[in-house]
Order: sequence, then structure tokens, then C-alpha cells
Amino acid sequence: MTRRQLVMYLFPALSFTAVFFIFPIIFVLYMGVQEWNGLGSFRFVGLDNFYYLLEDPAFRKALVNTVYWILAGILLHTPLGLLLALILFKKPKGWKWFRTLFFLPNVISTTALAFLWYFVLHVSLGLVNNLLKSAGLDSLTRAWLSDPATAVFANMVPFVLYVGFTMVVFLTEMSTISPELYEAADIDGASDVQKDWFITIPLVKNAVAINVIFNTAFCLRMFEYPLLMTGGGPANSSLNLSLYMYREMITANRYGISMAAGILTILIGILAMLAVFGLLRLWERRA
Amino acid sequence: MRGFRWVVMILFSLVTVVPFLWLILASFKTSRELFSAPFKMPERWMWDNYRTVLESHPIPGYFLNSLVIAVLSTVMAIAVATLVAYAFKFTFKFKNGWYGLVTFGIFVPTNAFIVPYYFIVNWVGLYDSLFGVALVYAGVSLPLSIMIIKSYMDSIQKELLEASFIDGAGVHRTFFRIILPLSYPGMSTASIFLMITAWNELLFASLLTQSEATRTLQVAIRFFLTTFSANYPVAFAAMVIAILPTIVIYIFLSDRIIGGLTAGAVK
Repeated sequence: MTRRQLVMYLFPALSFTAVFFIFPIIFVLYMGVQEWNGLGSFRFVGLDNFYYLLEDPAFRKALVNTVYWILAGILLHTPLGLLLALILFKKPKGWKWFRTLFFLPNVISTTALAFLWYFVLHVSLGLVNNLLKSAGLDSLTRAWLSDPATAVFANMVPFVLYVGFTMVVFLTEMSTISPELYEAADIDGASDVQKDWFITIPLVKNAVAINVIFNTAFCLRMFEYPLLMTGGGPANSSLNLSLYMYREMITANRYGISMAAGILTILIGILAMLAVFGLLRLWERRA
Repeated sequence: MRGFRWVVMILFSLVTVVPFLWLILASFKTSRELFSAPFKMPERWMWDNYRTVLESHPIPGYFLNSLVIAVLSTVMAIAVATLVAYAFKFTFKFKNGWYGLVTFGIFVPTNAFIVPYYFIVNWVGLYDSLFGVALVYAGVSLPLSIMIIKSYMDSIQKELLEASFIDGAGVHRTFFRIILPLSYPGMSTASIFLMITAWNELLFASLLTQSEATRTLQVAIRFFLTTFSANYPVAFAAMVIAILPTIVIYIFLSDRIIGGLTAGAVK
């Protein structure tokens, strides 16, 4: 391959990267130290935007909630996806149908799902409260989405449905395990649980890694559920970083603040990924 | 043990399906009925709700917009990713560095780029156009596409390339004759993933479009609840119309989608 040919093949990808990643990073870094309300010229304010963020209770709330989202993405999805995958891997009756069904929420409009679950958690119309009532547990009913104590977790409820993706990643990794291992275990008289625990789970480490990374990235980008189900409320209790940046830009027209938050979001993203990679490497070394 | 298995499967199925059934039922009710008996069968099936939606909103148009954006962005990203993945079949200086450069974006939370993307799209005069949105989607999903397609290409043996060169085929010819056909599974895996992401995206679509002519399905659904807030069942009918085609397509293609998706992700 000549140099010219190499450039030809690299060029489109490099220009996309320059336009959609490198330039934006420079732009975000620049904008983060400016003050601009959408009109007129920029004004350099140094680190003032960051001081503002640290003092802003809404931003702090958004930060904490984003961490909750990431933790939910890792701690809920991984075990639940693994459980469903272990079950379907034994190919019970109709397992293909279940696989199709469990994956379904991933292809349905997030916006529609957010509204659908808004109504599921609705105070008077909602399935959840009505189920609780009919079970005689009236005391447990709540205004899930407008109670500051539950709003952020209520936002995460529909997110659990995406576990189908995690499950399918596990299933695919499981399908690469040699069936002889299970035959040998059968001869030794191993139970289903023992086979899961000693054969399958240790061999799907890769899938755990992929899922953790995917879910972390997904949760960092989470925007639709907070926006549509609670609007970040009540009193910012369910705000996350995506929605915070969006609101600062679109509603408040504080572009500088929005992008200062953007800088921190990118840093958190990098830190989260490094942490995830680090933990996975540690785990691999131990095993 | 077997009992536990079925409990989990049925429970999870119910959680997935029941809200949809409720949505469909509710879309046939009158507004008063919805509040007085949210879980009963509708007394009279109100097809009028559906007529109201279809008469007041060009839903097929929104559908088409979403489809155009999804296809355009996917074609762009896959084409660019396939080209660059081919380059990485060869050895050259700083190869790992270049690969890192074009894929590091996978770890960047791109929603932090709302302001720069808004500016870029405005500067090139693509604000409020389907192509503008598609271009941003293609850019955002390029790193993932490169990773998936390259991992497939890695499994193509080098000897195959060498044989092709010995036969006198050039770099470009080898790309079209050998690499492209063999990378097809990776490309389709990445395409499926990209199409789903583009189809469901809301943030950039609402940031970069404004008029009804460029409204995507997601943005439209977001407006339904405000425009029909006095009459929820009509909004529900709109949502049913918006998601039903996706479900139908999915049922036909589910094996391909699920199989394809994970074949790429796990490699």
C-alpha cells in the first residue's frame, strides 16, 4: 500500500473524527471558560463557570444522580441479564420467543417507552399504585415521579427493561462454550446450579466486561427518561448531567455553564471508563 | 429450580408486555373512562382517537424522516468505517496511535457536545435538515462502527490478501473483491446497531431540527403529550401508531437483529 493509498482510506475517518470529536473537545474546553448567553460576543471568565457549578445545588444533584445511574447500569443489569441468559441458555420451551420478547424494549422508541412508564407510575392511573392497592398495600402507594425521594429511582424503572441487551450479549458468549464441558459435568452428576456456577459463569467474563462498558456509556448519555418522565424534578431531585447541560443551554441560555458541565461530564466519562477497565483487569489477574 | 426459572421468565414477560397492553386498551377509551376505570375494557372501542391523530398529524411523514436519517447515517458511518478498517489490515507507522485516534470517541459522552454540534451544523448550513442530523449521528457512531467492523476484518487471513496481490490485483481491487464480501457480516451487525440507535435518538434530533418537515418520530412523540394533553387517549393512539410498525418489523427480523448484534459485540 502506497502512502497515497493509505491516506485515501484513512482520510474519511480522520475528517469525521476531527469534526465530531477533536474540534468539539477544543470547542468545549474553550466555551467552558467563557460567558455567553447566545447573543453578542463571548466574554472570558476564567474558572468562574466551574466555581458556579460547585456552588450550584442542581449541578451537585445531577452529578450524584449520574453516579446512581451508572451504578444501576452495572449492578442491576449485569446480574439480571446473567440470570435471564442462564435460564434461556438451557433452552426451555419457547426460549426463542422469550428472547425476542426480552429484547423488544431495545428497539422500541425510548420516547414512547418513557411516556408509557410515566403512566405506569402515575399516581392515580398507574399500574403500580393500583396493583399495590388491590394487594391491600395502600400504605406503600406513592406519587413515585413527583416525590423527591423516589423520582430518580422511578426514572430508572423502565431502564431495567433494557436488560434484554445485556442478556443477549451473555447468551452469545455462552453459545461459544464447548458442549463437552457440560457432558463431562453430567457424567460427574453435577446439578444445573453447579454447572452454571462452575462452568458457565467463569467462561462469560468477556461478556461481563462488554456489558459493564456498554451500560456505563449508556447511562452517562441517559437523557430521555429524566427529561420526559420527571423533567429533572421535583426540585431537581431527578436531574442528571445530560439534562443539566441541555437545560443550561436551551432553557437558560448559559452556554458557558453548560459547557463547563460538559468538560466535567467528559472527565467523569473518562474516569468511569478507566475505573471499569482497571477493575476488570484486576479481576482477570485474580482469576 | 425449574419452577423458579418459569417464575422469572413469566414475571419479566409480564413487566414487558402488560404496559403495552394497557396502552393499547387506553388508546380506545374516552378521556373520562380512562380516569374512572383505567384497567377495564373500553365500553365502546373508540376508533375516533386514531382518526383524530391521523387527521391532525402527518405520522407517516415523521416515520419517513426517521427512516431517512437512520439509513443515511448508517450508510455514511459504515462506509467510512469499512474503508479505515481496511487500512488497518496493513502495517504503517504509528498504526496503534491512528487506531486510538479514530476510536477513542467511544468513551466520550457525546451529549457533552450539544453546543459544538449545534454550531457546526449551523455553520455548514444544515440546521433543520435531515442530512444535518444524519451527519451528526454518523459522526457519533463512527468509533463503534470502526471497532465492530475491524474486529471482523481481523479474522480475515493475511494470506488471502497476499494471494490477491500476487495475482496482480491492486489495493482497491482487493478491497472490493476480497475484503468487502468477507466483511459483510460485520458491516451488517454494525448497521443494525446504528439503525436502532439512530431510530431512537431524541437529544440531537430535537437540538438540530425545528420545523415539522424535518421532525423525527421521537421528537413528534414528545409533542403528542403536550398537544393532546387534554385528551390522553388520543396521545396514546398516536404512540400506538408510532411504535406498532417497529414492533411488526422487529418480529420479522428479530433473529437477524439479535444474532447480528451480539455476534459483533462479543468478538
